[in-house]
Amino acid sequence: MSVAAERVATIPRPAANQWWRHRLVLVGAVIGALVIVYQAWSNGYQWPSALEWKSLSTGLDNFQTWLSDQQSSAHPNVVFSVLNGISTGLDDLVSWLATLFHDLTWAGTTALGVLVTLRFGGVRAGLWVMGAFLSFAAMGLWEDCVQTFALMFAAVILSLVVGMPLGVLAGRSDRFQRAITPVLDAMQIVPAFAYLMPIVILFSVGPGAAVITTMIYSVPPAVRITALGIRGVPANTVEAAAAMGATRLQMLAKVQLPLARKMLLLSVNQTILFALSMVVIAGLINTGQGLGSLVTNGLNTNPALALLAGAAIVIMAISIDRATEAMAERTDPARMHVTEAIRGRLRVATAATGAAIGLAVGIGYALDAGSAYTNVGGSPDWLQARLQSALDYVENPSTFVFSITSWIGNHLVEYGLQPLQNFFVETPAPVMLAGLTLIALLLSGLRPAVMTFAMLAVIGVVGEWGSAMDTASQVIVALVLTMIVAFPLGVWVAESARVATIVRPILDVLQTLPQLVYLIPFIYLMPVSIVPGIIAAVLYASPVVIRLVAAGIREVTPNTVEAAQAFGATRTQVLLKVKIPLARDAIMLGVNQGIIMVLAVVVIGGLVGSGGLGYEVAYGLQQGQFGPGVVASLAILALGIALDRVTRGNRRPRLEGNR
Amino acid sequence: MTRHLPRRSRLLLPLLVLALGAAAFAAVGSATAGAKSCGTVTLNEQAWAGSTANTYVTKYVLEHNLGCKVNITQIAEVPVYQAMADGKTDAVLEDWGHVDQQKQYVTKQKTVVMIGPNGVTGLIGWYIPDYLMKQYPQFKTWKGLKGKETIFKSPESGSQGMFLGGDPSYQQKDRTLIKALGLNLKFVSVGAEAAQVARWTQLYKQHKPVLFYWYDPQYLNATYKLDMVQLPKRFKGCRDDEKQGGDPKLYACAYPTYTLEKLFSKKFATSGSPAVKFLKKWSWTNADQSLVASYIAGDHMSPDKAAEKWVKANPKVVKKWLT
Amino acid sequence: MTTTTVSADAVEPAGEQRGDPLIRAHGVWKVFGPHAERIIGSPDADLPRGELREKTGCVAAVRDVSLEVWPGEVFVVMGLSGSGKSTLVRTLIRLIEPTAGAIEITGRDVIAATPAELRDLRRHAVSMIFQHFGLLAHRRVIDNVAFGLEVQGVPKSKRLERAAEMLRLVGLEDAANQFPDQLSGGMQQRVGVARAFAVDPKVMLYDEPFSALDPLIRRDMQDEVCRLQEETGKTMIFITHDLPEALRLGDRIAIMRDGRFVQVGTPEEVVGSPADEYVANFVRDIPRSHVLTLRWIMRDARPGEEDGPRLDVQTTVREAVPMIAANERPVCAVDGAKVVGVVDRDAVLQAIAGERD
Ligand SMILES: Nc1ncnc2c1ncn2[C@@H]1O[C@H](COP(=O)(O)OP(=O)(O)OP(=O)(O)O)[C@@H](O)[C@H]1O
Ligand SMILES: [Mg+2]
Repeated sequence: MSVAAERVATIPRPAANQWWRHRLVLVGAVIGALVIVYQAWSNGYQWPSALEWKSLSTGLDNFQTWLSDQQSSAHPNVVFSVLNGISTGLDDLVSWLATLFHDLTWAGTTALGVLVTLRFGGVRAGLWVMGAFLSFAAMGLWEDCVQTFALMFAAVILSLVVGMPLGVLAGRSDRFQRAITPVLDAMQIVPAFAYLMPIVILFSVGPGAAVITTMIYSVPPAVRITALGIRGVPANTVEAAAAMGATRLQMLAKVQLPLARKMLLLSVNQTILFALSMVVIAGLINTGQGLGSLVTNGLNTNPALALLAGAAIVIMAISIDRATEAMAERTDPARMHVTEAIRGRLRVATAATGAAIGLAVGIGYALDAGSAYTNVGGSPDWLQARLQSALDYVENPSTFVFSITSWIGNHLVEYGLQPLQNFFVETPAPVMLAGLTLIALLLSGLRPAVMTFAMLAVIGVVGEWGSAMDTASQVIVALVLTMIVAFPLGVWVAESARVATIVRPILDVLQTLPQLVYLIPFIYLMPVSIVPGIIAAVLYASPVVIRLVAAGIREVTPNTVEAAQAFGATRTQVLLKVKIPLARDAIMLGVNQGIIMVLAVVVIGGLVGSGGLGYEVAYGLQQGQFGPGVVASLAILALGIALDRVTRGNRRPRLEGNR
Repeated sequence: MTRHLPRRSRLLLPLLVLALGAAAFAAVGSATAGAKSCGTVTLNEQAWAGSTANTYVTKYVLEHNLGCKVNITQIAEVPVYQAMADGKTDAVLEDWGHVDQQKQYVTKQKTVVMIGPNGVTGLIGWYIPDYLMKQYPQFKTWKGLKGKETIFKSPESGSQGMFLGGDPSYQQKDRTLIKALGLNLKFVSVGAEAAQVARWTQLYKQHKPVLFYWYDPQYLNATYKLDMVQLPKRFKGCRDDEKQGGDPKLYACAYPTYTLEKLFSKKFATSGSPAVKFLKKWSWTNADQSLVASYIAGDHMSPDKAAEKWVKANPKVVKKWLT
Repeated sequence: MTTTTVSADAVEPAGEQRGDPLIRAHGVWKVFGPHAERIIGSPDADLPRGELREKTGCVAAVRDVSLEVWPGEVFVVMGLSGSGKSTLVRTLIRLIEPTAGAIEITGRDVIAATPAELRDLRRHAVSMIFQHFGLLAHRRVIDNVAFGLEVQGVPKSKRLERAAEMLRLVGLEDAANQFPDQLSGGMQQRVGVARAFAVDPKVMLYDEPFSALDPLIRRDMQDEVCRLQEETGKTMIFITHDLPEALRLGDRIAIMRDGRFVQVGTPEEVVGSPADEYVANFVRDIPRSHVLTLRWIMRDARPGEEDGPRLDVQTTVREAVPMIAANERPVCAVDGAKVVGVVDRDAVLQAIAGERD
């Protein structure tokens, strides 16, 4: 069988940007018509209740009850025994890991982390890790960090065990890739609240269930980036190996995996970041304590502690991120050029690392550092008091800052968000449906328009039209703001190395700091609903978009840029006329991933006052009602697909990958 | 020190240490054995301060008076039923009445047992700040709100007044109530409890009008002076059970007072551990709970220290629990 | 424009016939795009490329190509960019699945081969050398050269030994422990050549191996290929779009245009009598006197001319000029001892003058 991929002839794209000029005018006309209808018949026709599938929600409730009965019956069937085995195995794995770190003592674990990073990732990364361990001790959160780390470690390993083979398959087969992409999208968009109860019924509570919940969110990046890596292996190298008669397995083991190595390590690193952003939700069904429950409980009883725990999550994320990235860079054989001499020296270094770790564990035991670790840094009480005073300032409505922020918040809602929301919710449903379908048709073509229509119809049928339109109005605002923020920043990051180094840690923080931790202070500053939810969405989605835009612009070949410069183009001209148009694909992928990310925090929005579908999910599931939450999640998913199709434009079929 | 010892003693010393250690171990073992081994008890702490107070006070007593080892889980309110069914958590000390779960796990599966009230009565209702009540005494009952709704206007409520909804995970039926009572209010949810608190305390500090879903016991009620707006006991349009349509003859409107329940897992309830007896007996008042909760959430005392402080100050109550 | 297909087997190899052909392809088609198989045999198949794409969205990269290559022969395929050369050579070992046609290499039916048989063919019988090298960036040079053997499962010490030998053959023994990105383009392609030779194949396929190299290195490499060819006697299919290269290396040259062979013949035939305008354009700048031999311009000897000065019939016109110019009488072209024809000044002048039109 031929391994060389046969690409279908690519149809040349229309040369100029002319297409959208007149289309945008038409879209404007459609919107204008909608506004007129809204003014005339607002609140006239909602989604007809005859067209609602009312029994869906109850049916789902019954399903959950059935599941629970099955699980508790005296003779559980095989499926449940298997699932039970899995969760017990996972429980054991996580507690084994936690015990291991415990037994190594703080000093030993620190030495393990730092020295391994030092050996494979270099000094800078080693310092990052060292700083992280010191800060855990200084914050007095070592025990919780160990719990969380053990959980994350297990979740990440398993995500990779599951995700990488799937990614390899997706990288080698277009059909598989097409089949799995919507599944991955769904895994990332459907809020965890929606499947928390079924997971608990199937896997009980505990570390096992927490690992599985985390995996649902962290497997997709592993699959996507692995596939991207496999696809990125130079075609001519693959072809050369095929011409030499390599089997599929040989191709994979000797050519594709080694050459995709860097991307594979990037997928490890992204899987870690995604897993860490699930810490809080996983904490809701975990029996052990950890940073997640510190955040959840701290929000009500001790916000300063919640803030500290959030900071610990971020520090963990950033240090692991830096460490894995440095390891990926430094151990790349294509760059390292390992000769026998170097190899010998590396072996010595490895041995020394092992010995030093052993020594540190010994010292740990000798000094009883297992319990005395907190003496390393300052007092956590002192830290908490400091944080609390900062929070007190934020919570005080008589400060100057408050007068500004509350004014901004109030006006944003009163004159921007509220009217827009009313427009979406109150325009007669059939008209809105027709209008949005028409816009999809104009911007993206027939097929996307049909899809948009179908998805909006699904939303109506499951009975979520009102909430979905409410959410849609906010998602659109968030998306537009994300683009306004992220696009120029992405360009700037691509253009300036200094900006890139400054921005990067901020992006990491935004991706991993639990939203509620930074949103609650926001609510004090801008006491008006909707705004915090939109802020959450913008802050969570921007990092991904910034990274994609920056990567796209950086990848524009120097030749093209040079050619433009040779014609005497200024820097701005090069940017506007060469780089940005050429980075169009990456930018469109950015829009698409932006949609996914914005939707991924809809539930968080529900928890900070955005209402809409997010509130429905949180309400339904925390009430233990399976049906309404799943229905609302379905609506979120449908909304996501519809938005993706409307904004897709007439670009080529969607590219893959995360960032 | 060892340097000055003769060679033979150097060998003896570790042996001596070992022997002493073994003896100490045996002594401890017999001490706990005498109290009929309590073993490990797993309590679930929920995300509000009152629950933390319950959990840590009982933990203190279990550990110090009964020699139990106490684990604390922090599982969300609904999944914790399954946790008890699976025997991963032994007890929940404060449940605010989850009808569906109780039907499933207590009545049908019999994997969770209801033990009885924990002594605290829960009040849910519509609250306004005291300064507002002073200004508008007619707000004592819901009728006084009629026609005055717009003073609760906010940016997101448009021309209507704003009703600030509670945490989506809490028991509530405010949307139905507003509709049934025909009030010109817009239900605005600001989400999780921390967010809702942020919202109304901010308005409170500015002495602005605010009407919101709230409950008692709550440690913040000690800091902020709040009054309840009386809702009608019966009113046409209200339903007993929003979800199932309710019995049309029973138009219950106001929230009932909740007797907060203790729940045990079946496994724990039948284990015969001395902890079962104690926890069955354990109950306290709203005031007690609020006091401990305010130590924890208001003064940011560590829960263990707060529990210790309260137990030391209330030896009589504790003694009653243990008899 | 002509659309008649010229088959390689229509023209016998220039040298002596050496048994059965080693590579035999008949009626090979490759059409990229949806429902490609429907196009073959339909009237659409004869449409020009652009129209075909307009109409069906398909690209016909190779159209009805037939060729036969005999053992030891160097068969060059030449054509402009996009004419389908790479596609053709890839279909021969099914790196690209042909849409239609029959292919046989060393007596084995390639089209019917199972995946295992095909692997076996690729491992042992055929090696390919690529324009962009296709080296493994994560392996040392010597491991790259040994890769074909590794794939076959040859033990490590044996394959490294063989690889070292191959590196000596291409003069890279010093670079064995370096990594591909540390080598110049020319050196990298030598690695590619060594890698191909390491498995000792019967057939070598070169896809524009030297077009990424600068002219001097390219010349070196061509010499290298000539030398290796002489030393090892491999059969080669050599793709290029560089006519001098084709003339230098090829025993026979096939000119490809829009997926078809438009002419197949010896260098002399191609230069001396281009089949059409396209080929003529190709060869216009080639000094004919450098390519044409006496065989091409001689006429039959008239009585009495057979005892003139003698030259081998394979001598190029350019080499013959001094002698012909120095002699009043026509020069005799001999094949061995036999006079096969004579060449006079007029014929030479005509051959040289032909270059200018
Ligand atoms: N995978 C593919 N899908 C679609 N069309 C292809 C594909 N590969 C090649 N083609 C088309 O087939 C035609 C022949 O391509 P091929 O690469 O064989 O040309 P070539 O003669 O090798 O050119 P060059 O000298 O530039 O290498 C071209 O028009 C090309 O566009
Ligand atoms: Mg080519």
